[in-house]
Amino acid sequence: MSAILAIEDVTVRFGGLTAVNKFSMAVQKGAIHALIGPNGAGKSTVFNCISRIYQPSEGRITLNGEDISKLKSHSMAGRGVARSFQNLELFNELTVLENVMLGAYSRCDTTFLQRLTPRPKQTLEQAEEILESTGLKNYRNTKASGLDFGHQKLLEVARALAISPQLLLLDEPAAGLRSREIERLDELLTSLNKTKGITILLVEHVMQLVMSISDRISVLSFGEKIAEGTPTEVKNHPRVIEAYLGTKEAGRG
Amino acid sequence: MELEVLSLFLQQGIASGLVTGSIYALLALAIVIVFRTTDVANFAEGEVYMASAYLAFFLIAIVSMPFWIAVPATVFAVLIGASLFQRVVLTQVAAAKGVSVNLVIATLGLSYVLKGIVRATGFGDTPRSFPSVMGEGSVTLGSASLTYLDLTILGAALAIMAVFFWMFNYTKIGRAMRAVGMNRRASQLVGINLGHVQMLVWGLSGAISAVAAILIAPKLLMTADMGVVVTLAFAAAIIGGFTSLPGAVVGGFIIGITENLVGLFVSSRAINVAPFVVIMLVLIFMPQGLFGGKVRVRKV
Repeated sequence: MSAILAIEDVTVRFGGLTAVNKFSMAVQKGAIHALIGPNGAGKSTVFNCISRIYQPSEGRITLNGEDISKLKSHSMAGRGVARSFQNLELFNELTVLENVMLGAYSRCDTTFLQRLTPRPKQTLEQAEEILESTGLKNYRNTKASGLDFGHQKLLEVARALAISPQLLLLDEPAAGLRSREIERLDELLTSLNKTKGITILLVEHVMQLVMSISDRISVLSFGEKIAEGTPTEVKNHPRVIEAYLGTKEAGRG
Repeated sequence: MELEVLSLFLQQGIASGLVTGSIYALLALAIVIVFRTTDVANFAEGEVYMASAYLAFFLIAIVSMPFWIAVPATVFAVLIGASLFQRVVLTQVAAAKGVSVNLVIATLGLSYVLKGIVRATGFGDTPRSFPSVMGEGSVTLGSASLTYLDLTILGAALAIMAVFFWMFNYTKIGRAMRAVGMNRRASQLVGINLGHVQMLVWGLSGAISAVAAILIAPKLLMTADMGVVVTLAFAAAIIGGFTSLPGAVVGGFIIGITENLVGLFVSSRAINVAPFVVIMLVLIFMPQGLFGGKVRVRKV
């Protein structure tokens, strides 16, 4: 296996605050990799660096060996990197189907003249397929703003899939979902990974999901990586237990 | 008032209202597309319109360029100029991360620059009349009468709107513009180049303003202050909800028709007040404008 995404010594500073400090991580092709850590550990900041919303102060990020540290946000979709947002970023006035079809934007035609011509049929077919697989089919013509929270989260994933990603970044996809919905998400992500070979990197707090689907887990605390390994290794790592539960001394106080 | 006169006034008011209204509608469209995709209320809209009229006048009357070259040349020049303003000035102002009012101030700056340039050329000193290529003559519709020029204005404006709506709804670049208007972050996520779209929208708004200017100029006396008409386009945009394109068009026609009916039925001195009475009524009874959708409760 080779690394699809490599983060090397990335540091992000906001003014005087160091949000992420010399963080390195490699995501293997075909893996489901989770990035966990307490609130404010810098997980979303790392995500925002990968999807080119933030500029790292130091360090390098490569995708399939290509340095992406200088690229613009919009050029990631064309490279097969899709993401979902923790605080939903949907096209609220559009229907579920239209949201997914817009997800395929980067994959249609590139020349200026082709840009003026209407969208091909296959985009529609592909969008219908995605709705089917994500279980959103019954909401096809509902406006995104009219969906309940769980389905809105799912729609973020569906739209990301329309990019036909090789790497899918999911920022807390299970947050706020009910346990039945989390089980369905678990099945969906596993099947995307196994049948379509999509590499998944997710930030998540719901341990039930993380432990069940991840091949590998990296743990961030206060902007630094404190552990990395398989779910079992990470679960028993003393620094992880400390970061999540506090030290014995602190617990007594 | 006799019934016959009443019916005549009504028909003539509506017909003439559609003609002036179509110009307000074009200018309101230019304002609304810019606002939707770049969050800037363009206070230089009136001066872009004014400068376009002068540029066309200069090319036709001074350089003696044939009409059919001068018109596309003007539209193209204004398109490029407006794009460059967005690219060079607005992105810099936005990058400075100031309050959003800075962007509005930048457009006010542009309006002074354009007025200054027109005044500096000397053409703005005395009112000028724009050469018309349309023949004299008029057509009677019912009991209303419209000149050939009026019909050309209305027809051309409607055609421009139709092309524009087609582009906005059925082309890839149009979809990108709509997407940017709805959610900028999500647009970039799906691969839309935000910078290009915003620049293109400014260019388009400039082109629409230039077309409006060239259409209406033969009916007016041109002065460096002719841009004040844009107040009515803002009124049209507000009536339509300020973010809705059909709203801008309907708003433009409502303002145009109201002005003309008030002029005929009430008094020509009341014309200037009428649009603002309409705005107030709309805002009292439909605070979101006619096409602004429902009042949304935002989570805080």
